[in-house]
Parts: sequence; C-alpha cells; structure tokens
Amino acid sequence: RIMPVRWSRYNPSYLEPEVKKESYQKPLEELTEEEREQMELKAVRPIKAAPPTLSSSVFSDPMISKFTNMMMKSGNKVLARSLMSQTLEAIKRKQLEKYHKAPENEKETIECNPYVIFHQALKNCQPIIGLSNITKGGKTYQVPVPLTDNRKRFLAMKWLITECRENKHRRTMMPEKLSQELLLAFNNEGPVIKRKHVLHKMAEANRAYAHFRWW
Amino acid sequence: QLDHGCALHTAARDGLGSVSTQDVPAERPRAVFHTSESDPAKHSEQHEGRLYNIPLEEVKAVFPHGLPYRFQQQIQTFNEARVMVRRPALELLTYLKGSNLAQPAVRYVIYGERGTGKTMTLCHVVHYCSRQGWLVLHIPDAHLWVKNCKELLQSSYNKDRLDQPLQASVWLKNFKTSNERFLQEIKTQRKYMWGKRESTEEGRPLGEVVEQGLARVRSASDAVGVVLRELKQQSHRGSLRLLVAVDGVNALWGRSTLRKEDKSPVSPGELTLVHNLRKMVRNDWSGGAIVTTLSQTGSLFKPSSAHTPHELLGKEGFDALDPFVPIPVANYSPREFESCYGYYLERKWLQHEKAHTEDGKAELQFLSGSNPRQLDRLAGPL
Repeated sequence: RIMPVRWSRYNPSYLEPEVKKESYQKPLEELTEEEREQMELKAVRPIKAAPPTLSSSVFSDPMISKFTNMMMKSGNKVLARSLMSQTLEAIKRKQLEKYHKAPENEKETIECNPYVIFHQALKNCQPIIGLSNITKGGKTYQVPVPLTDNRKRFLAMKWLITECRENKHRRTMMPEKLSQELLLAFNNEGPVIKRKHVLHKMAEANRAYAHFRWW
Repeated sequence: QLDHGCALHTAARDGLGSVSTQDVPAERPRAVFHTSESDPAKHSEQHEGRLYNIPLEEVKAVFPHGLPYRFQQQIQTFNEARVMVRRPALELLTYLKGSNLAQPAVRYVIYGERGTGKTMTLCHVVHYCSRQGWLVLHIPDAHLWVKNCKELLQSSYNKDRLDQPLQASVWLKNFKTSNERFLQEIKTQRKYMWGKRESTEEGRPLGEVVEQGLARVRSASDAVGVVLRELKQQSHRGSLRLLVAVDGVNALWGRSTLRKEDKSPVSPGELTLVHNLRKMVRNDWSGGAIVTTLSQTGSLFKPSSAHTPHELLGKEGFDALDPFVPIPVANYSPREFESCYGYYLERKWLQHEKAHTEDGKAELQFLSGSNPRQLDRLAGPL
C-alpha cells in the first residue's frame, strides 16, 4: 500500500483546526454572519488532526518554523529546534554585549531583538529576479524570470543554510556560524548577499533572452 | 523609556534598599526585585525573592570555579552577577550563624529536583562564609573526579590507590586564587616527603605545599591530601573556621567510569582525591561546617528520576553522611518567579514583543513549571 505523503487524503468535509485563542474568546454578538455559519458548521463536521508544526503559543513564528524544518536532517526536529534556539540566543548575546559597551548615543541604533534581525536578514537575502533554464532550438539559455514570494523566501533560507554548512571551518558549531551569517546579512554584508548580487548581475547580463519567457 | 528605567533603578539602589515590599509605592514595580544589600550576612526574610549584586572583582576572587556555566555566561552578557536570595539559603545562613564552632562540624545536604537551584544556594553560602573570613574549601563538582580522567597514576604513597594529577592540579590552582591570604598564615605541623629528594619542613606556610603540588604535577593529589589534613587539624585546634563545600557529593560513594590498565573497574574509594575528601566530610573535626549538594545531572549509573538523598547516595553514602541536616530546594514561588521575570525584562534579556505581555508571562510560567533552569532555557531564544 502506498501511504499518501504530499497530497492529503482527507475527505473534503473535514475542516481545519482553529488554534488562535482570540477567536474562542469573542462573545456571540460580535460575530458576523459568516462566522456564525462557520461555528454552526464546526459543530457538525469532523475536524482534521492538527499538524505538529501548528502551535497556539504566542511565541511561535511561521518563518522560524520553516527555517527549522529546512535545517532538519533525517527528521531530527528536536536537534534542529535546539540549534535554532541556540542561534537566536547567540545573536541576542552578541548584540547585548555590543549594546552594553556602546556609548549612550549609539545605543538606540543597535538592534537586540533576534527575531527582528532574523526577519530583516532574510529580507535582505531575498533575490528580486531569478534565472530559469529554457531550451530553444537545441540550446539551453539562462532566462531572467520573476520569482514568487515563496520561491524568494525559500532561496534566501537555502542559501543561508548551505553557506553555513559548506563554507565554514569544520569544527565551528552551527549556532555560531548561523548567528555570524545572520548578523552579516542584517548589515547587508557577507557571502549570502554577495551571492544574491551575483544572481542579479547574471540576470542583468542575460537581459536579451528575457523574451524567451512565455509565462 | 530607557532613561526612565535607569532613573528608577538608581533610585531603588540608593534609597529603597532593604525596605519591605508593602512600603514600596505602586508606581515603582521594577525596583521591587532588587536589593542593595550585597553582604549575605545581612540577608533576612524581607530580602526573600530579591536579587543582590556581587561585585565582579569579588566574583573572580571568591568563585574561580563553582558557578554554573550558564550563570557565568549571564554574568558576561549582563556585566553583573545577580544572585536571588531564596528560602533554603536563608535557612542555611541562620543555621551557620547560630552554629557552635566548638561542637563537631554539622553536615548539611542540599537536595531537590533537577534545576531548582542547589548549586546557586551553595554559592550563596560560600559567598557568605568568605565574607565572614572563613576558609572555604570549595569542590565545584565531585563527579569530575570520577569520570573522564585521561591520566591515572599509581600512587607512590599507597600502592593500592590511584592518583589523578590533572584534576588535582586544576583544583589546587583554583584553591590558591580563592584563599591567598590563608595560605601564608597557616603553617604545616610536620615534615612531608615528596619522593626521595624533595620535602617540606615543619612550620613552613601551606602556600609552599600548594606550590609543590602545582610544580610537580605527579604529586599533586598527595599535595591535596596534605592540604586537607592540615586544614582539618588546624580548624580542630580552633585557630581558623573552615567551610567544606562539595557539589555533587553523591559521586564519592557511587561507581566510577574509570578503568585500570587491566580494564578492571575502579571504585571511587581507590582514588586518592576521593579517599581524602571522604575523610574530610566525616564529622570527626570541629570548628566549621560541611555543606554539600546532591546532583543527579552529573551522576553515574543513577536513574534520572532519583533526587532524594537515599536514592542518590546509596546505602554506603547515606551511612557515611548520616546524621545530616537535609535542606530541600524547590521550584520558584510565584513571588520569586515575578522577580526573575522582572529582572530579565529589565536587563533586556526578554526581547520578543509578546514576552512583555501578560499572555507571554503566563505561557512562560506554564512551560517552565516555575523551574529556574527551564525558565532560563526558555528565556534564552525569546
């Protein structure tokens, strides 16, 4: 028997689980028509099982979970999550040390929140335009192509992780490497930003082939 | 908002000090969990749940070893060492203040679940005793002496026993940093021979024995034994007050993972360091106190659910330590949790926006179960 991995085998009548606490604390009068219908439907229809990534914690962040999943090897989510928390702690420690040593006027410019640094670093690493292989007349051309948001996020995270895994000294720990890379990316420096710029330059150089794209 | 916080903080340090919680007006919630009383001798119930500051030079002098690793990282990040005053520590301090030094040394065993603050209680007591002028014999973790030892030498003093030069020399170095002034005052009572040619005469300061142990690493364990014996005899005479602080005392009576060259297992009694320490922890001397901590985290061949003295010490250890005063350490009380949470907020350790809200605080309390170590681990990435 083949177990379904990628496409869900749930009956279409199954509804998604609702995790947010706020939606359950609203009194009945404030609900709109659609929400009242939804509530009635929930009383009758079965609900899908909640996936392990879904969390009702106020501290959960979908980008961080996605990054943790990408760092995970052979299903070891425990290790990946602990590496992620150690990375965030390392970023926080470095920034706090800098903060306490800095003079008064510079203290406001130093960002200490590891989540803000993570999101900003990812945003800085995202490419605007990508290349795709299109075969025309026997030859394959690298054609510049717009990227979707998901693809941009995926590429940024992938580049960060491969950069940390491959181009660093063998004995450095992953949290240390990652925190260093994230801080460099936050300041628009570092090898990942360079890779993004290289991609942009290639796309600019191959501008002539842009009309090969048909979508 | 930053300056507002700083002004409150300095006002708290100068003005409020040891004022009890009820007198503090409601618009100064941040200052409640600090206290400016940095002398442990003056700590009492009104300081319970509050954090006191240890100056960094004193930390380097009193604790060259012995502080937990995460606490050392915290000292480095926040640039200050803040220890919470908790009930078990206050209890121990009252016992020590009221103890009669002419009677044989009383043994205190600090026990509790994992991560509740046993080592920090021990460090609080060590700080108090060093402030009072006691000589502190602090063994940071007895488990380090019964596992992961690269070099085991056969002892020259007694053929059956085994020496550990590396661990002994490391401990001697730290002992020297913490007790410099005593080493010049205390004199040896008899002549000691180190091998065929070197010896220490009677009446020489104890510092020379320590130097000998550090210079000749082969005889470091014997040097440790000599130091312990001298201190025991001298405190018995009443000239100095001695505090023996051992963290992880259940290592002395358990099993060890070390093996001799013929692959036969080594029992802790065959190691010189452990043998001498066992003699030290016996209550046949007077003029001081023995404060010990049980620890499951570093222990060997003990299940992770074991945390009571009987389970961790085993029959042999319990009989050897019996009678002792047990001091249980529990998780944070609601007030202590508030105080710890407020301290992290004030030091900007909790950076997540949601961590400042009531929801975040409730979630932290629930997830950590008010356990100090879990709270520290959870607050790390947030």
